[in-house]
Amino acid sequence: MTRLARHTALTAFTIALASCAGDAPQLSPSGFIGAELATPGPVPDVVLTATDGSPWHLADSARGRVTLVFFGYTNCPDICPVHLANLAAVLDKLPDQVGRQVQVLFVTTDPARDSLPRIREWVRQFDRDFTGLGGSDSAIVAAQRGFGVPPAVQDTSGSAANYLVGHAAQVIAVTRDGVARVWYPAGTRQRDWAHDLPRLVAFDG
Amino acid sequence: MGDAIQWWCAATGLPWDWEWQWYPGVHLFLLLVAGGWYWLGTHHGWSRRPWGWFAVAWIALVATLDWPLGKLGAGYLATAHTIQFLLLTLVVGSTLVKAIPADGWLTLLPSGTRRHAFARFQARALPGLLLYNVIVVSTHFPNVVDPLMATQLGSAAIDIAWMLGGMVLWWPLLAPAPFRRLGMFPKMGYLFGATIVPTIPAMMMVFSEWPLYEIYELAPRVWVTFSANEDIQLAGLVMKVIGDIPLWVAAAIVFFVESGRAEHDTTAQAAARGAAPAPARDGGRES
Repeated sequence: MTRLARHTALTAFTIALASCAGDAPQLSPSGFIGAELATPGPVPDVVLTATDGSPWHLADSARGRVTLVFFGYTNCPDICPVHLANLAAVLDKLPDQVGRQVQVLFVTTDPARDSLPRIREWVRQFDRDFTGLGGSDSAIVAAQRGFGVPPAVQDTSGSAANYLVGHAAQVIAVTRDGVARVWYPAGTRQRDWAHDLPRLVAFDG
Repeated sequence: MGDAIQWWCAATGLPWDWEWQWYPGVHLFLLLVAGGWYWLGTHHGWSRRPWGWFAVAWIALVATLDWPLGKLGAGYLATAHTIQFLLLTLVVGSTLVKAIPADGWLTLLPSGTRRHAFARFQARALPGLLLYNVIVVSTHFPNVVDPLMATQLGSAAIDIAWMLGGMVLWWPLLAPAPFRRLGMFPKMGYLFGATIVPTIPAMMMVFSEWPLYEIYELAPRVWVTFSANEDIQLAGLVMKVIGDIPLWVAAAIVFFVESGRAEHDTTAQAAARGAAPAPARDGGRES
């Protein structure tokens, strides 16, 4: 029985050791967990529509603060709410001096169903400071192309009122100089954001 | 996975919906458990069949492993996963031990065999606690949970480990007489001890700065307003607060039952002494 007890203790220790050995994240050349764009580029000069109906100059709004841009839609059943909820949770925990320097822009890819009030209501479920944006089909497509992501496509297998939209799953991070530099795929965890956001805020080219 | 049959509930990353889903592996397992129990009773000629205990165990197994709790716990909500843990360890484990009568256990673990010796060893407090806690802690490490829950085999392995862990937990308290060794206070101490180590994963879930489990952090939300952080914290609270209650109740039951039994024995002995001629202490001399 002593042998059995020894064996059990050894097994437990091995499991504990293996489990504690967390995977160290691979960092980009600038020290981000997110992937750096091969060719960083300026934010496209596109005019979208804020949820109060006023025009939103994307390029102008992205200067001076870190801007996280995400293209999605409010009926999205998986990636969109996870991204926004995780960002809201992280920004809530980061120091104010970091949080104040970050703005989150959610751009709808389903303007047919996402009315401006609907976008505002949905985005504010996650964080009252998140900004929802709508706009014309052409402006939204231009914004996506400008960020180098493929324009969203409507899944035709659904009904006219109940359909899915295939859209880019990544969040694009724009540094304070107005240059899109890093992207974060679906599956980015809160601790990854917590690692990168202060670095994005501190990044000065 | 596409439209391939899912045999056991596992994390798929697909959006949650409330549409019933068939898991053939779960139902096959439930049939095997029921058939195995019935076959054991018939084959070994049990003196009695504890139908009631088995029914509770089997219904709890259905509720735990099948849709919707099985699906929710496997890939959507850590709280649901914790409820599965509590059902399997506290309800299924205990009732399965009671679902086999004493002569059934003796046939399964015949005297003089290594199995019998192991069962006697596990009926002691420290080995019982050690094995149970190893199962609990190892199946709550994020580096174990995240990869296992993403596969059907891994998810099944965790479910079955918890079911067996429950039997290990309750064995020192509910095992039949040839195996059971603990008295009243060791039993109560054992139950108290069983509440200590699970506090570690529970508190890690509650107080961890970032969500402990990737699988639940990145799962499609069941309710948009119920965040992954809230879910994992609630799971930790459920594990600790709700999970401890049955163990405290069991300790109270042990205390009252065993005290009552001891009192009954004392009364019976006193009555037996009163009925028999009392031996004269003074050598029979009259004063």
